[in-house]
Amino acid sequence: MKLHIKNILLLGMLLLITVGGTTSCKSKKKLAKQEYEAKLTQAKTDLNAIINGETQWTLEEQRARIEEIEKADFQDTEIDELIVKAKSAIDDKQAEAERIAEEERLRELESQKVIEKETSIEDYFAIIAAAPDAETANEKIAEAMQLFAAPDVPVLIIIYHLGDIVDYDAPTTAEKYLNYIKDQKSVTVRVNNIKYDDNNKITELELIKK
Amino acid sequence: MKKTILFLLFGLFFIGNNQSFAQELTPERKQAVDSLALEKVRDLSKYIKIIGSKDTPWSEANRVIERAEELFAPDAEIGVSSLSSNEVLYYKVRKYLERLMRLNYDRVEIDWYKIEYVSDLQRQPDGTYVGVITIFQTFKGYDKEGRLIYQDTTKKDITVYVKRKETQIGGRLIGFWDVLLGDMRVKETSR
Repeated sequence: MKLHIKNILLLGMLLLITVGGTTSCKSKKKLAKQEYEAKLTQAKTDLNAIINGETQWTLEEQRARIEEIEKADFQDTEIDELIVKAKSAIDDKQAEAERIAEEERLRELESQKVIEKETSIEDYFAIIAAAPDAETANEKIAEAMQLFAAPDVPVLIIIYHLGDIVDYDAPTTAEKYLNYIKDQKSVTVRVNNIKYDDNNKITELELIKK
Repeated sequence: MKKTILFLLFGLFFIGNNQSFAQELTPERKQAVDSLALEKVRDLSKYIKIIGSKDTPWSEANRVIERAEELFAPDAEIGVSSLSSNEVLYYKVRKYLERLMRLNYDRVEIDWYKIEYVSDLQRQPDGTYVGVITIFQTFKGYDKEGRLIYQDTTKKDITVYVKRKETQIGGRLIGFWDVLLGDMRVKETSR
């Protein structure tokens, strides 16, 4: 009798464990499915936002998010298609950003070149005048000549200016004037006006006596 | 009657032209022209120093001779004197500069100072301004041991001619003052 009761208790316990375990497993599966659905929905939302350009994320952040979704491996054909579209959209955006950045860089380079030209021709005057010997001066003259469209570009020097009256020294050329600075070892003028051609090379240089 | 009118018109034209020629420069403008002429003489002094220096490479000296020659009027002459002779020899500018380049010393020092007007630029009937600038030149010649073997100081007068001209540059008319140096005469030479 005692043994019979013991068996009944054991059987009951076994039944409780079995029923309880099944209920817990079902609940966990349900939770995992809910979580998966939520993640899937979020992934689709994010991918659509990336495709439609509606996200505030940077391109790097967008790429990272796509990678994260890919790694999650949702086994969902819609997600797979969205990933392809999102990657393509990012590549387009990246190319556009690079194009804009390159255009901006070139614009800055051009404006920098113009500024450098205006300042550097005067810098060259000072450098050539201060050159320790003819050889060094000639090297600098050769460099400075790169700023001009041709060696015979006219150089005009204003010696007097009042109202409509403008008096010049006899016109000279770029090459002769740079050599003149080398010979005289001094600069007695400043740049008054510079004209450039389409290649940003100097086509006329007007100087004025200091 | 027609002849009288033509004569009067011609007279008016002549007077008008003459008045425009006689138009004097303002003192400020004249000073700018005076300074320009003085500057050309100072430029020449640097060129002479470069040409005479034995440190100047041959090609550089030849280039500077070209520049120096451009400062002078055609046929201008430069006087050369010596303590050993009372005679002053005159050479064409090119000849003088080439002789200067080949002077028989191992080192040559040439300096110009007291560069100033002795006769201000005066307007001539043809519109050219003519003046005289005086300079003092010290010349020192050394041998290969670095010993000073000859030196003198010469006072020279340079005639300067300045004329206003016009030229087209980049489609616009540029009015410029053309300065040309004339003869360079030896006035005195001393030790």
